[in-house]
Amino acid sequence: MLLELNNIFKWVTQGGSRIFLLKDINLQVEEGEFISIMGPSGSGKSTLLNVIGMLDNFQEGEYKFLDESVHSMKEKNRSKLYKEYIGFVFQAYHLIDELTVYENIETPLLYKNVKSSERKALVADMLDRFNIVGKKDLFPSQLSGGQQQLVGVARALIAKPKLILADEPTGNLNSKQSEEIMQLFKELNQAGVTIIQATHSETNAAYGSRTLHLLDGGRNHI
Amino acid sequence: MIRNYFKIALRNLSKNKGFSFINIFGLAVGITCASMIFLWVEDEIRFDDYFANKDSLYKVKTFLPNDSGTKTYDATPGLLAASMQTDIPGVVNTARSSVSNQELFSVNEKNFYVKGNFVDPSFLDMFQLNFLEGSASSAFNQLNSVVLTQKLAYKIFGSTKNIIGKTIQVDTDRQYVVQGIIEDLPDNTSFDFEWVAPFKLYENDNEWLKYWASLGVNTFVQIKANTDVSVINKKLYDYISTKQDGAIAKIELYPMTRWRLYDTFENGKEIPGRIKYVKLFSLIAWIILIIACINFMNLSTARSQKRAGEVGVRKVLGAGKSGLIFQFIGESLITALLSALLAVGLLFLLLPFFNLLIEKELSVNIFDPLHLGILLGITLLCGLISGIFPAFYLSSFKPVKVLKGLKIKEGSAVWVRKGLVVAQFSISVILIISTILIYQQIQHVKDRNLGFDKQHLVYIDVNENIQKNVEPIKNSLLQSGFVENVSLSTNTPLFKGSTTSNFNWQGKDPEKQVLITFEGVSPDYIKSMGIKLKEGRDFYPNIETDSSSILINKSFAKLTGLNDVVGSTIQFQDQPLTVIGVVDDFVYNNLYEKSTPLMFYASEYGNYLNIRFKRNADLSKALPALKNIMEENNPSYPFEYKFVDEQFEKSFKTETLIGELAGIFAAIAILISCLGLFGLAAYTAEQRKKEIGVRKVLGASVRNLVGLLSKDFLKLVVISCIISFPLAWWIMKDWLQDYEYRIDIGWWVFAVAGILAVLIALITVSFQAIKAAIANPVKSLRTE
Repeated sequence: MLLELNNIFKWVTQGGSRIFLLKDINLQVEEGEFISIMGPSGSGKSTLLNVIGMLDNFQEGEYKFLDESVHSMKEKNRSKLYKEYIGFVFQAYHLIDELTVYENIETPLLYKNVKSSERKALVADMLDRFNIVGKKDLFPSQLSGGQQQLVGVARALIAKPKLILADEPTGNLNSKQSEEIMQLFKELNQAGVTIIQATHSETNAAYGSRTLHLLDGGRNHI
Repeated sequence: MIRNYFKIALRNLSKNKGFSFINIFGLAVGITCASMIFLWVEDEIRFDDYFANKDSLYKVKTFLPNDSGTKTYDATPGLLAASMQTDIPGVVNTARSSVSNQELFSVNEKNFYVKGNFVDPSFLDMFQLNFLEGSASSAFNQLNSVVLTQKLAYKIFGSTKNIIGKTIQVDTDRQYVVQGIIEDLPDNTSFDFEWVAPFKLYENDNEWLKYWASLGVNTFVQIKANTDVSVINKKLYDYISTKQDGAIAKIELYPMTRWRLYDTFENGKEIPGRIKYVKLFSLIAWIILIIACINFMNLSTARSQKRAGEVGVRKVLGAGKSGLIFQFIGESLITALLSALLAVGLLFLLLPFFNLLIEKELSVNIFDPLHLGILLGITLLCGLISGIFPAFYLSSFKPVKVLKGLKIKEGSAVWVRKGLVVAQFSISVILIISTILIYQQIQHVKDRNLGFDKQHLVYIDVNENIQKNVEPIKNSLLQSGFVENVSLSTNTPLFKGSTTSNFNWQGKDPEKQVLITFEGVSPDYIKSMGIKLKEGRDFYPNIETDSSSILINKSFAKLTGLNDVVGSTIQFQDQPLTVIGVVDDFVYNNLYEKSTPLMFYASEYGNYLNIRFKRNADLSKALPALKNIMEENNPSYPFEYKFVDEQFEKSFKTETLIGELAGIFAAIAILISCLGLFGLAAYTAEQRKKEIGVRKVLGASVRNLVGLLSKDFLKLVVISCIISFPLAWWIMKDWLQDYEYRIDIGWWVFAVAGILAVLIALITVSFQAIKAAIANPVKSLRTE
């Protein structure tokens, strides 16, 4: 078991009443799965991904990641955990504008204190694997959206995570670029990486091995 | 990792060139300014460091109590030095020195007026004068010897070699033999002599040195290491009265470490002297640095919206808060370092001008560990001050919110930013007001009715030659057609030296000790000075008839309390003197005070020859005529003269300098503040680009929009004025307290400063506002 969510509730209080963002979410993810989360806007897809990615808190319920209780963990250990095992891919790519392609991919390694020579090798591998060696010295603004997301995926993968969380990874891309990225996810999954993606698109959801439907208010249907 | 941060920092700097310029240039100006001030402070603090024994050297201060308060002097009896050395334990060595003497040195028909002191041989030891030729132990073995500074040796002989044993003609009547050459003393020492000669020479000419009652020489003392000077001072305080019955003079040792920065006494108590200005300008240096740092802080937090995304991504990629804080502080340190580099360049460029202004020879040596250390210290501090708040602020962003693209709520940052802008402008306004008031005060004193006419008036030092030929000189001067009047006096027109409490008159309270200034003048003096005669008559041209007559000033007349003071008798010791007239009060000595009681007596001798040119005289012709006449009558001396009005101007040196510096610093503070405001305005305009676009489409005019954008900033400047007005009033009132003759602080000064600040801010902000307002709205609306 990679992770397990039991009866997760998350809410905000507005004008005295609770508005639920996540309501009684239960989810078990095995290593090697490829899960798509679907649902209308505001149904809590991103919130769920953020909770899984340990970027956001929840009020009730328990969350186990590799048999460790995330909900009772200190901030520091939590960040250690996700640094080690989780990679993120965003709809808006979120590359750092001031860094080159090479440096963007390298950044997670810096925060893991990987040695310089090893970093070089790892980044070079990744550039090779994604066929972007020629673009390594370009800045994000000099790339197309598809290329930027490619870099985003490469950056998520560089630290060899067990889990990739992708929040509408193709939301800003045209259909051709979109297909390329999904194909890439599929290959990664086949290579053993667990992937959870939030998406609007049935086509993209179909790449996954199972789909989780969120309704308004966050209750899940599997 | 560091390299990565470094790269990001540099790329950020080069990407936002405008803002980097504001940050770096502003901080560089601040650092340059502060460095110059600190160089000056260093020079002041290291004053007299040239003397290795600085810590154990003292001079004797004399306190003379009288009813208007205790006066403090450096003058001591000539007998004190030798006597205290045997009587007072802890005193290792003593030396006397005459007050600075100007003598005429002649060698091979060349004449030089040179300043020097007559000193005891122990002086050479105590101050460890560095002998290049000759030696301290042998220099004063013979009576008629003299030791020259290197500079003077070059001036007179053109060399420092083979001069020992050469003879110098002094004042046409004496000869000294050069017995030593010493290294020149640096500018920042308490002495400015060009030569020293044995005190014995002076002693032989001055009978008064043999009396305890006569104060007139400086006494320097070296005490044993680790001796408590307060114990010595206790013994010294009444020492003179043990030697002379009824003596009122009290003495104390005063340490060399305080001579430069503290040596100011009021009523016998030390009051802040120059140290006041050292502290004030150090404070200003820090304030200017902080103003520059504020720009950096404000622009960093204002740009936070842009950096927020990066913070979010980095956090998601595993960056900890401390790592991010480190990164942002690192960025501000790099900015500070670049500023420091630019500042060093600016310093080398501007230091000569600063030196010219303050009349010093400051120099910066970047390899001097102290200078380098201070520069790095300032740089580090600036980097930290300006970086810490933005670093904590930026690194606290929650990645979830930022990455969702929500506008971050600025909250505290907005208030801090506004507060800092208010702080910057408050300081600027205070500096503007101070500058205006200092300038006004100086002008006020310069323009005051002195009670005599300082224009077209020169004076010449009188020597025996001139004294002998005074009548022919006077006649030729009057005949030249340029000169209206000539007179002799003991002292210069602006400064009178002699005071006594030995005057008595009918009705005087016998308990009361009042110091009265007395001055010997020739009969034409009142006329040549342009002093007004209020009552009675002037001296008759024939001195004999007025040998026991005196003229007194109004303030003395008031002091006597006599109704008909003219014709009354005033006793000087046992000698009755008749008051023949009262002159109007005129300003002397302290130009900021009312004139103190003074009396003139008629004398045919004087140290100064005062020459009043005719009002319409062409000075470019009158001066050569004067020179000719003087050279004819006084052939072996070079012709030197001083204009009274120039001397008057010179006595405002400190105040004028303070005024000029305050003005410069005010300008710099405003410049840096405006740079920051300019940057902030640019950001606001950019942030509100969309709003401006929409408003414009809805029909807002350019004027509406400029008003809209400028209003918020102007509000801050107005608040600054409200804060700074009372502060400035309070500070300047305190400053003016030091001057008895002073201006009233007028409300218009505040109005001018306020309007000036608002105007400058308006110009700064409206530039950005207009740019935003005239932009095509289609462009700004399309971007979203």
